[in-house]
Amino acid sequence: MKSVKRVICLLLAVLLVAVFTACNKEVDTKPTATPEPTQSTSVEETPTPGPTEENKYAERVTITYACPQVRAGFDYTNGDDYAKMLSEKFNYEFKTTNLPWNEWHSLLSTWIMAQNMPDVIIYNYGEGTHADAVNFVQQGLIRRLPDDWKEKWPGVADVYAKTTLGPKLEEMFGGTYFIPRARFYYNLLGEPLANHWSAWVRWDWIQAVGKEKKNNYSIPELMEIARLIKEKDPDGLGDRLAPMSFTTNNAARFFLEANSTYWNTFYKGADGKYAWGAAHERTLEGLKLWYQAFTEGILDPEFYLLEYEQDMEKFQTLGEAGISYLGGQTADIERYRIDFSTRTGLPQEAFGMATLLGTDGYYHQRDLINYWGAIAFSPKADEKVVERWLDVMEWACSEDGYPSTSMGIKGVDWDRDANGNLVSLVPEGVLLSGDVGEGKYPSLGHVLGSVILWDDLQFDNPNITPSYRDESKALYQNRYDLSTPETFTKVDWKVWMNGTENMRRARGIAYDTEFANMVTTAKSEEDLVQIYEKWLQDQMAIIQPVLDELNQ
Amino acid sequence: MAALVKNEKKLHLKKRIAHTGRNILLNKEKYFLILPGVVWYAIFAYIPLFGLSLAFKKFIAKDGIFGSPWVGMVNFENVFADPAFAQSILTTLRINAGRLVFVFPFPIFFALLFNEVRIGRFKKVLQSVFTFPHFLSWVIVASIMINILGQQGLVNSFLKLVFGIQPIKFLGTPSYFQPLVYITDIWKSAGWSAIIYMAAIAGIDIEQYEAAEIDGASRLQRMWYITLPGIKSTIVVLFILAVGYLMSGGFEQIFNLSNAATWKVAETLDMYIYRITFRGSVDFSFSAAVSLFRSVINLVLLLAADRISKRIGGSGLLA
Repeated sequence: MKSVKRVICLLLAVLLVAVFTACNKEVDTKPTATPEPTQSTSVEETPTPGPTEENKYAERVTITYACPQVRAGFDYTNGDDYAKMLSEKFNYEFKTTNLPWNEWHSLLSTWIMAQNMPDVIIYNYGEGTHADAVNFVQQGLIRRLPDDWKEKWPGVADVYAKTTLGPKLEEMFGGTYFIPRARFYYNLLGEPLANHWSAWVRWDWIQAVGKEKKNNYSIPELMEIARLIKEKDPDGLGDRLAPMSFTTNNAARFFLEANSTYWNTFYKGADGKYAWGAAHERTLEGLKLWYQAFTEGILDPEFYLLEYEQDMEKFQTLGEAGISYLGGQTADIERYRIDFSTRTGLPQEAFGMATLLGTDGYYHQRDLINYWGAIAFSPKADEKVVERWLDVMEWACSEDGYPSTSMGIKGVDWDRDANGNLVSLVPEGVLLSGDVGEGKYPSLGHVLGSVILWDDLQFDNPNITPSYRDESKALYQNRYDLSTPETFTKVDWKVWMNGTENMRRARGIAYDTEFANMVTTAKSEEDLVQIYEKWLQDQMAIIQPVLDELNQ
Repeated sequence: MAALVKNEKKLHLKKRIAHTGRNILLNKEKYFLILPGVVWYAIFAYIPLFGLSLAFKKFIAKDGIFGSPWVGMVNFENVFADPAFAQSILTTLRINAGRLVFVFPFPIFFALLFNEVRIGRFKKVLQSVFTFPHFLSWVIVASIMINILGQQGLVNSFLKLVFGIQPIKFLGTPSYFQPLVYITDIWKSAGWSAIIYMAAIAGIDIEQYEAAEIDGASRLQRMWYITLPGIKSTIVVLFILAVGYLMSGGFEQIFNLSNAATWKVAETLDMYIYRITFRGSVDFSFSAAVSLFRSVINLVLLLAADRISKRIGGSGLLA
């Protein structure tokens, strides 16, 4: 019997090894996992009829693409006239995958590591993901663009040169692997670049509690307003009223980032030595304010339960929040107000945006860097696919393409007057971009070839009410006016591009969650300080090696 | 002589193989039934074992698991240098030890209870009601919990209405987190887990109950002296298996029920691995090192529980 058992065990083992070997061999030749995008990576041999440019696009290609801004389930090839116009012009089939925002990096990383990424991706490039990007490039998991790509696609190259990050990466990698998408091109505000993130405030409530309407407030000023809102409850909301509503992440941005420039990273101090921003006194000060807001009940009592954009929902949809801290770029400023008014039944004028200042009265921010998300290509993507998409990108940077990415089809939705100025042809009340059934072109946005993001054109976009454009410009401008080079700082590339093992571990610290936990568990302000100091000590095992490296 | 013995052994082996083959053919339906299980284990339990070698390597995706260079114990050194790792072990042990004490007995209790229900239809309804939550995902359970226990949830509204009590932060108070884990675990899984015990109860000879009834034993006495001893070996086996999971399990539950306020008491090893793998920089080697460490501890705990069980006279899991 024992022998039989042995034989069976042996057979099973051989079977397992055989299966494993088979699987392993397959890894070398084709992707193991089967995310939708890669399955469709192909160049179809049968040319399809349709308009072509001097037969350049005679061969129809299938392009797979993944990015969080994709509308799930929408047909980006023929789903609307704009998508159709582009897919016919460049003769492609566009297959998209929507990435959930909170899984953006993890999903892409997994696909890249499995050598199974779609043809085109928008990589969530940032300080925290740079080390992974370096890793991917070193392993040949991201496609290197041909050395002459700038000559072939000069429009894209021009935009690329303005992203700051693009040329920096090129210098480091010795070639181009990522094309960052520029936030601004024609309307670049300056360096460092200001963020659009703003305090969302209810003007009607601020006036109801007898406070001044301004386009900038310090954290303590807004806390004072929140106290009065809580006390007077202008709309009689009772228990539903949330004078301040933030998700955990946005609360950290409001109380910590707006008060302490380096709250979650490393910086070079006045003595020329690198230090840890979490240990800076201004970080503790912000933390104390957060604690005060929580214990006084002016902050949403269960802010830690709010999921992504639920704070926005409380402000914009339910009309229950007095102050939030959310995106405020010009491109969205009108849309947000229309939605607010439609959903709450309140006038658009009740919705205000303001620059948030620290307790010192200064605006705090690290350089946003002129990009958001970087375009990268799969090493396995067919060359024709890569070239076709770069052509689409080149068009999106052209005189006609650039306005089209925001304003729709030339001659239908917009045109130029005799002076070359943009003229809107969109009838009043028609929404260009939006979900299916809501917007005229659900495909319009940052997906189809966009290299210059919406932020740029919005200062000149005639579809946006001029007063809103002016308001937005003023908001950006006061961030420069209300800051110093010490509070609104240029990027420190030594820290930003640091990808050592120690730095990678240090970046794994979930600062917003850690600080939120301190705020919710502290019994008193003294207790909070003790918890904070103990936490700082505990983290030194991870932080000190990084400081040692930086100060070498 | 030796050759003769060898030949005889070979012959014996051939006969055995032939016998087993015939046996398999004869019972092919039964073997077919276990095939999905075998395949599942092969794919999801045995093949991934090769991946554990990553714990001693620096993973280079291009080179694959086997081609990546060996780095010795570096990953483990990094793991042990992280204070969050030690904390996550303590949290895991605390939560799972509590599960053994508070959650483990409930399915037994339910099975005993179901067994005593005499009206067949009512028994079926009860079983269905208690089994149903098993099919809900933890995402849904967590949403239900927010609606019930949130600041403006059912419980707080009731407390305020009836007793005028200020809202209690059930979901944001660290000390409430563990009880919440156990209560939701019992609600969701006890009915389902009771099925195994009910199957064991069904195997108890009915004559024992009849004899006890004739002897005047009450229902409680029959439960205590017949049913419980009858399913003792099942309880022991499941208990040993549960001990083997002391360092893992419950990721989906903890992930969905925890939040920033309870995070410190909720970061179990699984949560820690998730955070390290996907929230920061992707580091599969580091995660593999943590996973391997966890598996080794689980194995040690399982073997220890099995040995202890045998020592104190109970049955064991391993022969």
